[in-house]
Amino acid sequence: MSQRFPLPAARHPLAARFLDDAAAVGEAIERFGSPLHVVFPQVIAENAAALAGVLRRHGVPYEIFYAHKVNASAALLAETSAAGLGADVASAAELDRALTAGFAPDRIEATGPKSPAFIERIAELGVTANADDLWELDRLAAAAPAGSAVPVLLRLSGFASPAVPQSRFGIDLADADAALETVRRAPGLDLRGVAFHLDTADPAARVDALTESMAVVAAAHRKGLRPSVVDIGGGFRQRFVDDPEPFQSYSQALAAAAPGELVWPGHDPSVSHKYANHRPTTEVLERFLAAELERRPVAEVLRECMLTLWIEPGKALVDHAGVTLASVLYRKRAAGRDLVVLDLSRNQVTPADQEVLLDPVLVDGHGEPPAEGVFLAGRLCLESDLVSRRKVFLESEPSSGDVLAFVNTAAYQMDLSASFAGGHPPPPKIAAVLEGGRFAFVADDHHGS
Amino acid sequence: MRYDSVLDMIGETPLLRLDPAKHGVPEAEIFLKLESANPFGSVKDRVAWGLLRAHIDEIVENEQVVVEASSGNTAKALQIIASMHGVGFRAFTNRVRVREVREMLSLLGTEVTEMPGLSECPDPTAPNDVFGVIGDLMAAEPGRYHHTSQYTNEDNLRAHYEQTGREIHRDAGSVDLLVGGLGTTGSTRGAATYLRERNPATAVVGVVAAEGDFIPGIRSAAEMWEVGLFDPGFYDAIAAVDSADAISASLELATRHGVLAGPTTGAAYAAARERLLAGPGGPVRAVVIACDRMEPYLSYYRHRRPDLFGAASPAPAEEAPSATPGDLEAWVAAGEHVVVVDVRTALAFQAGHIPGAINLRDDLLEQVMEAGMPFSERSRVVFVCPTGDRSARFAARAAASGRKAYNLEGGVLGWRDSGRPLAGV
Repeated sequence: MSQRFPLPAARHPLAARFLDDAAAVGEAIERFGSPLHVVFPQVIAENAAALAGVLRRHGVPYEIFYAHKVNASAALLAETSAAGLGADVASAAELDRALTAGFAPDRIEATGPKSPAFIERIAELGVTANADDLWELDRLAAAAPAGSAVPVLLRLSGFASPAVPQSRFGIDLADADAALETVRRAPGLDLRGVAFHLDTADPAARVDALTESMAVVAAAHRKGLRPSVVDIGGGFRQRFVDDPEPFQSYSQALAAAAPGELVWPGHDPSVSHKYANHRPTTEVLERFLAAELERRPVAEVLRECMLTLWIEPGKALVDHAGVTLASVLYRKRAAGRDLVVLDLSRNQVTPADQEVLLDPVLVDGHGEPPAEGVFLAGRLCLESDLVSRRKVFLESEPSSGDVLAFVNTAAYQMDLSASFAGGHPPPPKIAAVLEGGRFAFVADDHHGS
Repeated sequence: MRYDSVLDMIGETPLLRLDPAKHGVPEAEIFLKLESANPFGSVKDRVAWGLLRAHIDEIVENEQVVVEASSGNTAKALQIIASMHGVGFRAFTNRVRVREVREMLSLLGTEVTEMPGLSECPDPTAPNDVFGVIGDLMAAEPGRYHHTSQYTNEDNLRAHYEQTGREIHRDAGSVDLLVGGLGTTGSTRGAATYLRERNPATAVVGVVAAEGDFIPGIRSAAEMWEVGLFDPGFYDAIAAVDSADAISASLELATRHGVLAGPTTGAAYAAARERLLAGPGGPVRAVVIACDRMEPYLSYYRHRRPDLFGAASPAPAEEAPSATPGDLEAWVAAGEHVVVVDVRTALAFQAGHIPGAINLRDDLLEQVMEAGMPFSERSRVVFVCPTGDRSARFAARAAASGRKAYNLEGGVLGWRDSGRPLAGV
């Protein structure tokens, strides 16, 4: 028997309860088919409350915008509306969904690169525009009728601090003055504030970006503009595991393993350390607010600067708010290895082709853990369509007709890469709500379109 | 005792047994390993000399410059040893955070490069850390620099294994518990390895600063858990101590035991006592590494415990006369001399303030007012903060000393929200 390297995923109590309820899982598959994405609106509400709790505890005026792009689910979007959050939309289609979900235009913010048609709608509705470029600002200025006050945030980049990762998004600090001038001259625009978004958990990076952004706030005041918001974007991490130790052992074993021992031949065994994160999803925010700036906690500096803090979490809000179910078609041996073939494709459960370093759960599994690891194979006619390119160590022996559950898949894994390849539509999506001890299911389809 | 070189005075530090009647843990013997008795003042003297001793002739010969990631005691000791041998030294750090430490390095002529935001420990999850910067520097001029690399150099551990651990065992015998602060982790790991070879049951507790808190020379709980940084399995426990407890414990060491030790030692002592009191009881022998002295941290104590430095009891804030934005504008319009004092941080002031205001942040204004009231009795002085709550005490104090002082109602926020202009710097 070779050594086992299981990577058990942390399970939210609600998800655990669902996956332990074989009858409920069976009912969902029977009614909606396999494979199936299941989202838990109750979890996104809980995550929203946790983030809001951190902001309140630090005494910072705030708004939270749900980065809808993380999951196309209408149920999750509606839940964030009910919870009083704003919506961060990245396209005209997402804007329409936000309006349908009940967000008023003044609770919607548009981020990312925008098409001229999208800009027209933003200006027409008075949605807050998080401007990615001077080109967008010019078009927005032209589209906003005189006398209106379309709120604008300048997304900044090109920070001098070496701690801040470089970004392809945003307006370079060198162009910030030109951007302010465009907003000042535009009769229909209102400078709401400045924004940035950093792909890092490092609190020092956000502190440095905040410090440099304040020069733009000052420049805005000099021009007679009245910024009142600083938007630090998202980048708040997910909590994937309860204990980081198995991940550490696995990555060490992977580094020491012979080629093809733990990874399917021809694939890169590099690991992403984000899957070792066992600390709360609120931690990045907490550390930023508690970090010192001018020998004072950032939260206090923000209060002094009289700025409302906006954040746009996506992953942190949907952390543990979904699972993906797939049926086992059959087992086989190929290339000297054990395979479990699923009625699922890799792109329907992995974001941007990144290997997910968490083990799926066998629903209603019994008996001893199998000695050997298996590779999970997809159903497309591609050698690369392996749902797992690494050997996974399941808790019990799977067989034909069993259901495997991929845990914590609501963040980008459901929609980001899904295609119609091979005539397989992306898996249907349902919302599962726990009511009086039973799960109730409703269809929740946008098909990522 | 006679010495011919100060470097011979490094190590062989005293082991002080604390009076059990005063430390208050029943049946426990608690020893302090007084590393502050090293000639440059800290446990890092051993590390610095341990890292350099085998290489110094070569460094002198090749006229190399010594480089290290340090913001404190290691930098100080390396600088002194480098200076004694006529070679240069450069320190790289994310931030020197204690005033006296900064001033000491200046006095010794250390070239300090500060890189705020960068991690000072080698961190596989961070794309850029101080190590990367040092690596780039060395690659740019091969042979020019000697990197002592205290975080990864086995000589750091060896110095504590061969000296600190051996001395503790020689003087205390078998040890049940070793407690020390975690910076590079060299002192606890090196000494504990030696002690565990003699008594495998020796428990080792590493002490870190509580989340979001700061204790000089040791890491915070958050910095501890970055993947791959250190070997958590080595320690029986990682204890997080907050700065208030560290300060209290170091004051207790000073007043009850006559040991003038810094806040890190206070943190280690607090953690040791807490573990012993929570333990099963019975005879136990514990050693706490006292890494340096109290005096270089006076500003740290003052910042966190102003009450210990005779800060005057403030005039009641509710007695402050107040002024409205309209009053302020009327006085200016009437040609009176008005000083608007904004007590927020410089960053907030730069980002937007009442036109014509001056900026004196509250903690500095506090110090200024302790030294004397800086404003003319003929001026009207209006104190402002974000909402008017924090500036009131300054207005009360200035009014109590005869100034025409006022607190701005509603603060800068009220000013802004009434549509009045703000100025940016």
